[in-house]
Amino acid sequence: MKKRKLILMGMILFIVLSAGCFFYRNSHRQIILEFGMFTGSNWDVASANSFKIIDRAIADFEKVHPNVKIHYYSGIAKEDYSEWCARKLLEGKTPDVFMVLDTDFDKFTSLGVMKNLDDLISSDNSFHKEDFFVTALDTGRNGEHQYALPYEVVPTLMFVNKSLLAKEGIAMPKEDWTWEDMDQICQTVTKDTDQNGLLDQFGTYNYSWRDALYTCGGKRYGDDHSQISFTDSRVLNAVKYIKRLSDINQGQSVTQEDFNAGRVAFMPLTFAEYRTYKTYPYRIKKYTKFQWDCITFPADQEGGNISKVDALLIGIGSRTRHETLAWEFLKQLTDTREMQMDVYRYSQGVPALRAVASSQEGVDCLQEDMDEGEQVISSTLLCHVIENGIIEPKLLQYQQVMNLADGEVSKILQENKNVDSSMKIFQRTVSKYLQQQK
Amino acid sequence: MEENKFNSRIRVLQAGILILNIISVMGISTFIYVTIERIRRTYGAREFLNEIQAIVWYPYAKIWLCALLLGFLTLSMVIRDRLFPNNSKVILTSLIADFIACFAIIIELNFNYNGILLLVFSNVIMYVKNGKSRYILAAVAIGSFILADYELLSISYRLYSIQDYIAFYNATLQQYFLSIYNIFISLNVILFVAYCVNIINEQQGNIDEIHGLNEKLHDVNEQLQKYSLMAEKMAETRERNRLAREIHDTLGHTLTGISAGIDACLAIIGTSPDQTKRQLELISKVTRDGIKDIRRSVSELRPDALERFSLEFAINKMVTDINAVSETRVYFDCMVTNLKFGEDEENAIYRVVQEGITNAIRHGQAREIWITVKMEQEDILIQIKDNGIGCKEMKSGFGTKHMKERIRMLNGAVTFDGSDGFIVNARIPIRRGETYD
Repeated sequence: MKKRKLILMGMILFIVLSAGCFFYRNSHRQIILEFGMFTGSNWDVASANSFKIIDRAIADFEKVHPNVKIHYYSGIAKEDYSEWCARKLLEGKTPDVFMVLDTDFDKFTSLGVMKNLDDLISSDNSFHKEDFFVTALDTGRNGEHQYALPYEVVPTLMFVNKSLLAKEGIAMPKEDWTWEDMDQICQTVTKDTDQNGLLDQFGTYNYSWRDALYTCGGKRYGDDHSQISFTDSRVLNAVKYIKRLSDINQGQSVTQEDFNAGRVAFMPLTFAEYRTYKTYPYRIKKYTKFQWDCITFPADQEGGNISKVDALLIGIGSRTRHETLAWEFLKQLTDTREMQMDVYRYSQGVPALRAVASSQEGVDCLQEDMDEGEQVISSTLLCHVIENGIIEPKLLQYQQVMNLADGEVSKILQENKNVDSSMKIFQRTVSKYLQQQK
Repeated sequence: MEENKFNSRIRVLQAGILILNIISVMGISTFIYVTIERIRRTYGAREFLNEIQAIVWYPYAKIWLCALLLGFLTLSMVIRDRLFPNNSKVILTSLIADFIACFAIIIELNFNYNGILLLVFSNVIMYVKNGKSRYILAAVAIGSFILADYELLSISYRLYSIQDYIAFYNATLQQYFLSIYNIFISLNVILFVAYCVNIINEQQGNIDEIHGLNEKLHDVNEQLQKYSLMAEKMAETRERNRLAREIHDTLGHTLTGISAGIDACLAIIGTSPDQTKRQLELISKVTRDGIKDIRRSVSELRPDALERFSLEFAINKMVTDINAVSETRVYFDCMVTNLKFGEDEENAIYRVVQEGITNAIRHGQAREIWITVKMEQEDILIQIKDNGIGCKEMKSGFGTKHMKERIRMLNGAVTFDGSDGFIVNARIPIRRGETYD
């Protein structure tokens, strides 16, 4: 009897001790959080500081969480990043926190690779969705669920060749300028300056029917994101407007050379490009022959002066073993003032946090790099453009249809076809295509 | 011999299903892992992602997990078959555990292979003999087999498909892989069907055998009944013959002697009274001898208990026997010190008590019976009283009629009262001093 009691006691002691050891080991073990990122800028501009922001964020995070180490692979180029992610996924070693490219977002969410953040967001009192730009947050949504948070935002702006306008005696367009304004300016500036019988000064370069569509209040997708209507009057208007602008050029095509030589008045440009080429050292490499600035896009009567907005997203791997830490780190990157200010300081985009984007400190950051006397885009305008910007759906199907549409529109322009009938035929092709995809 | 042959065939089939399933499951998990490695080596990962609907999480760990689960299934089969083939608790637990392990494998393989369920069903069919639970299990089995189908589940759930992984290879290899995959699935089904057919055949054989035996038993039973009837008749005849012989031998012999003696007396009574007297004495002796003989014969026909014990003891024994074999309680109260009478009287009393108890139980459905025997002057009073249903109207049944006859033979009287329970009152005058000894 005594012996049995002794054995029982021994066993209990052993279990308690081993449990204690286990918990001790667990609580003191170093947790390694894997972070997936690529080197360079998401906006295809040169960036020398891509690690600077992350390293600072990691250092801050590791200071607060002493038993956590954040590991990332350096040197993965943006063009290799998608493959790198895919390889990690297949291997079963998805990073805990990782950047997601636009082209991957839809596939990754549908594969269930990315964690649904809804629960984390609703259970975290210190997190406020409203702090973000609505559009920026929406880029990280798929359906009803939030899968990623925006890290930086980049709106598209309209590049204006100030020197050219000044030469032609045209005032700089206002922020709320219209299609008609742009049409008139284009008509004015398009001319043959050296009298060789060929036009050598143009209105727009790269301004596409999609840009026009965003500004006429058009929506290609229905609310259910399943139907694209190319016979919608606004789509037709946009295409017709582009055709009008194109007709001004009398069939001559505008090239990047013309633009670089300062012979084109307008070109869409991302904010990232704007910041890169406005600041040293790129300022002296590109667009040096003329004064330039960026403004909003011209709007149709019904539309607004808005444009496409892109965001760099960061998400959490759905199978992460350190959900809370991953969420903390994700917040550290996207939802802290300090880190977001670093976006202004070291990156080329706009912070995803509205308060940071519009802060005086941010504006100062922008101003710092500019030449003396250069006018910086006002932060109110920037915020307005981002807040009301257009997010393109990331569905692969959508991209495919839009690429088809691009081809169709350029055919209309080149072959001078009737817009209404061509688009009607095209709509039928698209419907058939979508039907097959289902 | 036949049994052994059947058993070994079943075992071979079962082992075949097990091996086939191990190959299939390990083949699929390894194939997925190898394919993923190949995709990674050829840098086609992102492109491959576009083709698939779901990710295989931790493909390498999956191989080990599948191997572990298969090992468990095999172990459980061995334990069940070899160590506890007759312990129903172990069998049930292990079958349920098998089912769970099976589902774990199916989920691990994302329903690309549900043939492993057939392995469990084959075990279930083998062990579950009970008709009702077998139907339930069959329903569960068929239901889960249908529900665990990739095509069905992939509509609403995110599941990876082995076909997507096969599609990674070139067309020729694809055809080979697909064929192998389908062949294994079909082979598994074929083996399972063969197994089922074997089991069904065996059980059909068993049923036929049981039917045959049952019929035989029925025939034999009927024969036995005839024999018993015949034996009864024969016993009766033998008994009659014995009685006849007995009467002839004893009573006939004595009476013949007596009548001859008396004839002789009649002849000589006038001439020689002395000789007549001697002759009569002789006749008296013969008569006594005859009585002795008759008593011996009768005693051979007496009830068993009475033969060996006293009347009181015999009644007590009867009461104890009835108390022991039936739910009815019988209380016997004897107020006579020496219950010793003539044999015919004892017989009558014993029979009356026996009859009374029998009637009370059979017709009255009595739960309790009280028997009292007491003396009143020269008469013996027997009362048999019960708490049964009684009877409002007296019907002269067999029991009461016999009782009446018996008692009348002893110059006694019997009354019946069926108003409250049933009461039998019998009064028998005792022939005191009138003994044969």
